[in-house]
Amino acid sequence: MTRNYVGGDGVRFTSVGTCLVDMEIYGGETLRNLEPHRLFPVSGGDKYITLLDEDGIERAIIRDLDTLLPDSREVIKTALEEYYLIPKITAVTRTDEKHGIKWWVETDRGAYNFQIRMNNDIKVLYDGRVLIRDINDNRYEIPDYEKLDNRSKRVLGTQI
Amino acid sequence: MNIGGILINKEIPTALLEKAQETAKKLGGEKEKILFIVVGDLTADSHYGTSLLAVTERCAFSLDGTGALLFHTVHTDTEDAKVRRMYGNARLVVTQKDGKVVELMRFTYTVASLCDMAADYILAIASGEDPERAYAAVEEAYGKLMLYCPKCGRRLLHPGADCINCESKDKTLGKLVKYLVPELPNLALCVVLSLITTALTLIPPTATSTLVDDVLPNRDLAGLYRIVAILLGSYILRCIIGIVRSYRLRVSGDHVVYALRNDVFAKAQRLSMRFYDKTSTGSVINRISGDTSTIQSFMLRITQEVVVEFFTLVGIVVIMFAMNYKLALLTLIPIPFVVVGTKIFGKKIKPFYRRIWRKWVAVTSVLTDSLPGIRVIKAFSAEERSGESFKDYNTAWLAVDKKSARISTAFPTIVNFFVLCGSLLIWGIGGKWVVSGDGSLSVGTLVAFISYASMFYTPVNFFANLNDSYQSALSSAERVLDILDAEDEPDLGKGNCPEIRGKIEFKNVNFSFDRTKMTLSDINLTIEPGDVVGIVGTTGSGKSTLVNLLMRFYDGYDGDILVDGVNIRDIDLSYYRSQIGYVQQESMMFRDTVFNNIAFSKPDASVEEVFHAAEVANAHEFIARLPDGYDAMLGERGVGLSGGEKQRLSIARTVLMNPRMLIFDEATASVDSETESQIQGAIEALISGRTTIMIAHRLSTLRKANKIVVLDKGKILEMGTPEELMAAKGKYYKLIQIQTMAEKAQASREEEGFAE
Repeated sequence: MTRNYVGGDGVRFTSVGTCLVDMEIYGGETLRNLEPHRLFPVSGGDKYITLLDEDGIERAIIRDLDTLLPDSREVIKTALEEYYLIPKITAVTRTDEKHGIKWWVETDRGAYNFQIRMNNDIKVLYDGRVLIRDINDNRYEIPDYEKLDNRSKRVLGTQI
Repeated sequence: MNIGGILINKEIPTALLEKAQETAKKLGGEKEKILFIVVGDLTADSHYGTSLLAVTERCAFSLDGTGALLFHTVHTDTEDAKVRRMYGNARLVVTQKDGKVVELMRFTYTVASLCDMAADYILAIASGEDPERAYAAVEEAYGKLMLYCPKCGRRLLHPGADCINCESKDKTLGKLVKYLVPELPNLALCVVLSLITTALTLIPPTATSTLVDDVLPNRDLAGLYRIVAILLGSYILRCIIGIVRSYRLRVSGDHVVYALRNDVFAKAQRLSMRFYDKTSTGSVINRISGDTSTIQSFMLRITQEVVVEFFTLVGIVVIMFAMNYKLALLTLIPIPFVVVGTKIFGKKIKPFYRRIWRKWVAVTSVLTDSLPGIRVIKAFSAEERSGESFKDYNTAWLAVDKKSARISTAFPTIVNFFVLCGSLLIWGIGGKWVVSGDGSLSVGTLVAFISYASMFYTPVNFFANLNDSYQSALSSAERVLDILDAEDEPDLGKGNCPEIRGKIEFKNVNFSFDRTKMTLSDINLTIEPGDVVGIVGTTGSGKSTLVNLLMRFYDGYDGDILVDGVNIRDIDLSYYRSQIGYVQQESMMFRDTVFNNIAFSKPDASVEEVFHAAEVANAHEFIARLPDGYDAMLGERGVGLSGGEKQRLSIARTVLMNPRMLIFDEATASVDSETESQIQGAIEALISGRTTIMIAHRLSTLRKANKIVVLDKGKILEMGTPEELMAAKGKYYKLIQIQTMAEKAQASREEEGFAE
């Protein structure tokens, strides 16, 4: 099966609801209610976005969001932002290790607290990012551990 | 919890609750009562904040944190209601009969299961189900909240049970002390021997002082020989005691690590599959090998050296103060610096031990992945790539270890510097007192004092560096306790061993590995004793998960699975599994003989029982042809046998256990047609009279099935006899058509000589 790669000015996207877009291909065909998903949500960012129909079948892939027309790019970006909730931790105000690990954090989505199981759910990546998964499978990210303020680093101290 | 007859998952301000009640009345009339509330944690624009979903008998509505109405739907106007899981968040989406789609609430996965239940309730009422029955399911879902520890959120063995995780972390190292208890007599003897050694080490400086001040100036030869003899005697005694003590200590240490490793390994066998889903093999191996050794050496340090060094310290301080209290006080000057330095060092070094361990686990994970997969690596000429990948992880480990080395090597040297400064003070000031000749200090006393001072700083150094071992051991202990304290596979029905005939029922079973995606939804299935049931479906449709639940590899599912009317959770786990024969696609052979590999399922089986099992499994003939026959040793993964041969040994293993129920999970998927027919023959001999579940991609292998279940995206799509499903011309019919066409095409290619 050949992949249908789309991009450039050969395609136009319009938003049709939360996380859903219509894709109009130059030449007339329109595919409705597609849901954009990142194929590399951890490492890839805006590269390789798959577009799935209501049955979860892939209808096309966008190799790079930057190749899209500005309006279309905005539509896809908005849909992806709706779909992926990975709050970026800007500060860690408190941790408690008495009963499992609990973190109180400031994020770009507001203040929150969550619990982590030991060891396995904190992953430090080579590029300095730290990915965290809590006991409910919610995800969080510290974009760059080294850039955290000193207090946060002190609070985290033993855990990263 | 239940507030005023309303089920609610979390406390909310009274004002917000009142607003919800007011809204319910506005939407449904004065008598409208809220049945349950799900307190969410996201606002509509995906920021953290309180939101609220309230459900009554007639409608559902959502409010924001201020109590303002966001959306509402009426159950009777509802066409569909479902939780749409995204990434890290989800939405409760209701599709109305007029086609309008309403996003009732957005939330993180924290409350996703409650919203699943809310969607089920709305749908049940919309489809005219009895409200009381639907509400019973809601009550059950809220009751299940009690199944999670309120402190750490881990699943409990049963509602209200003590959380193993929460009770464990406080006394990390203390919990491991029990491994020392059997060694206490031996360790006590070692302590006594150590104290004697310590006392003996205090003799030489005093003897030196007597030599310098009395014996040598008075030319007292007899005194000289007496002192030399005393010193020689003390050295001989120290030597003998040292040998005995070292041996005893080594043996005690070996016993500690032996018992600890046994316990960790035994516990590792009893852990649930969920633990292994989330923990790499490398990390478990590291805990059993490396971490247990670290803990052992620290425990011995604590029980031996700490005692000895402490008494040495006290003894020397007493002697020094008795000799000259002023010089003794000078000796203590570096101590505060050492204490403060130790505290700072402890804080700095602790994170490194965790980081180093994490990096080391990554290294061992590469090892545990790549060595067993060496054939694949060679087949793809990936030796260099594999080496590079290992090197990358090893480099990451090296980088962290180097960083920690900067701290851990600098610290003892700095402590030593302070200690040397202390000695200089004694030389400088004590020397001045000797030189001034005022009689306050003799040469012999100064020399002896210098000796004692250097001996005094040894325990000081020891205690300063003890923190390093403590932090390392603490880190290891946490990881070992992660296994020792982890929950066993739940076995609430221990001792309950009902006779099993083989009727299997799945009732409203829902299951998800994590909370991001439902793997099985709404599974209702009855299998009668002796039925042969084929489960078909595309990859990822939930076939293997279904049998994993039946095998009780995972217990955290909603709904019930019954065998002969008894909930499988209430049956003794070991007995229950002994009643099921499970043959997987990848047959695992242990590093043992062919005979023992077959007898693995029944270690007390007689030789002829094993022969019979091998016969039934069509394996006896090829075993007889092996040069070593049943004594042939199999490698780590059964090296030397073909896939089909290993599979037949695996079937023989199952035949030997004589189970009431059988599960074949793609048992013939990885073998050629000829081998498949041999295995198929073995399977057909085995299944006679036993309840059998067969998962198969090749539908031709299901020719004995009297019932077919078609799974699709975790749900049962079709179910019935093969004839019924063929007549219905649904998914099964299509699958058969596709496979028949493929087989015909293959046959035609073979006929024309285009294929082997």
